[in-house]
Amino acid sequence: MEVPKFLETLEESGLSVWIRETESLFGFYFFLFLHNIGLALVVGTILFIGLRLLGVAPDLPFAPLKKFFKILWTGLWISVASGTFLLIAYPTKALTNPLFYVKLMLVATGVWITRKIERSVFADEGTSEEARLALGKTLAARSLVVWIAAVSAGRLLAYTFRYLVYGRQG
Amino acid sequence: MDFQFEVNFAHLHLLLNHVPVIGTIIALCLFLISFFGKNDDLRRSSLIIFAGVALLTIPTFLSGFGARVNLTGQPGVSDALMERHEGSALLSFWFMEITGALAIAGLWQFHRYSRPSRGNVIAVLLFSLITVGLMARCGNTGGDIRHPEVWVNKQAPLQEGPIGSLVRVFEPTPRKFINAMVLTKWETAFLMDLHFIGLALIVGTVGAFNLRILGFAKQLPVAPLHKFMPWALAGLGINVTTGMMVLIGMPAYYAFDAAVWLKLAALTLLGLNAVVFYLTGVFSGVEQVKAGEEASMSAKLTAGASLCLWFAVILLGRYIQKLDGTIK
Repeated sequence: MEVPKFLETLEESGLSVWIRETESLFGFYFFLFLHNIGLALVVGTILFIGLRLLGVAPDLPFAPLKKFFKILWTGLWISVASGTFLLIAYPTKALTNPLFYVKLMLVATGVWITRKIERSVFADEGTSEEARLALGKTLAARSLVVWIAAVSAGRLLAYTFRYLVYGRQG
Repeated sequence: MDFQFEVNFAHLHLLLNHVPVIGTIIALCLFLISFFGKNDDLRRSSLIIFAGVALLTIPTFLSGFGARVNLTGQPGVSDALMERHEGSALLSFWFMEITGALAIAGLWQFHRYSRPSRGNVIAVLLFSLITVGLMARCGNTGGDIRHPEVWVNKQAPLQEGPIGSLVRVFEPTPRKFINAMVLTKWETAFLMDLHFIGLALIVGTVGAFNLRILGFAKQLPVAPLHKFMPWALAGLGINVTTGMMVLIGMPAYYAFDAAVWLKLAALTLLGLNAVVFYLTGVFSGVEQVKAGEEASMSAKLTAGASLCLWFAVILLGRYIQKLDGTIK
């Protein structure tokens, strides 16, 4: 399949060239760092809440944990924003790699399950401990699998691309 | 990058390399005495020293790689002697890290069950005994490099005594070992993937604990949050292992990178912060903090320091590629 021309146009734009080639510390690696912080906030928080739902620290009350979802969603937005810049820097690299779409789907699934946990397990302050565990256990296990798969897919993007930039095989 | 730092690795290595050799001996002595005196405080102290030494062995190890690269080809420095020392270091390093991990597991058992399990005590004893022996040899083979005055056999300094020849069988040849560790793309990818999962485990559990101490989600009591620490420690174990495996594959790349050294410095400060937190009464105070209560100022300071330092560790890890070659 031919690589679409618009990818080259995007790569030649000022912003894309700057992120890729600047000597400044605030170029590519800075966005990569922000993306990493976003990952840590999202996956770290879901691991924490997921482990609680799976039985770690049974004496930890559930209701106040709801606040941690704010951190999780902030992390998601940091990831989306920094990810956009990473995509602008290397559009051909990402968009010609099938794994990139797998990753996006895994992230979407992860977000969906996480929303479900937030809306069911943490819907009502008065929900009993047992009811929360009944609602959340399977969801927690699923979300951990999906998020870890999403991290793995993302991490592997650095090793699986066909083109680094337009017209240059990686 | 247009900035460069100069580091005298031989000097740094000399400064650090006595820590694992002497530190393990001191810790082992305390550990042994704790049996006879049935002294729990002494046993805890020995475990803390093992853990601390295991942490400091990482920069010691890396400074050795830097020194080796800088000394290679210099007159009066035998490559064969350096290679023998490096092989010894590659072996003793992992035993030191296992001893450190076992010591931390023992400390956790002290905290949870008021004493370490018998299995843990035996494992610490066994691994620390081996580590002390391997570290002594590591120190000896290292000393041989620049000190002909201590050579037993002046003509053939590489000649081994009976114990030396036995240990040598288990020591990897650095070239071969490093070549084996020069991982394929897929092996590196797999290790890096695990490294990120370890990172998420640490950030999720330690982060939640620290944020609560700082006043976030105050309706949570502090003590149950501390029960997530084994998961954080598992993440730490994964990341030390995967990080060091990748590093050993390309030591010359990582040793001359400012981000790597700053990351190690941040990790050392995290160790120091943990010492302040657990050993100066901050933790026993904060453990009593119930739902809705405020933690003490000292607890908040250590929690804030921990958050900032983990943030720095991630930041510096991400800049390793960018800052490649910033040390000469």
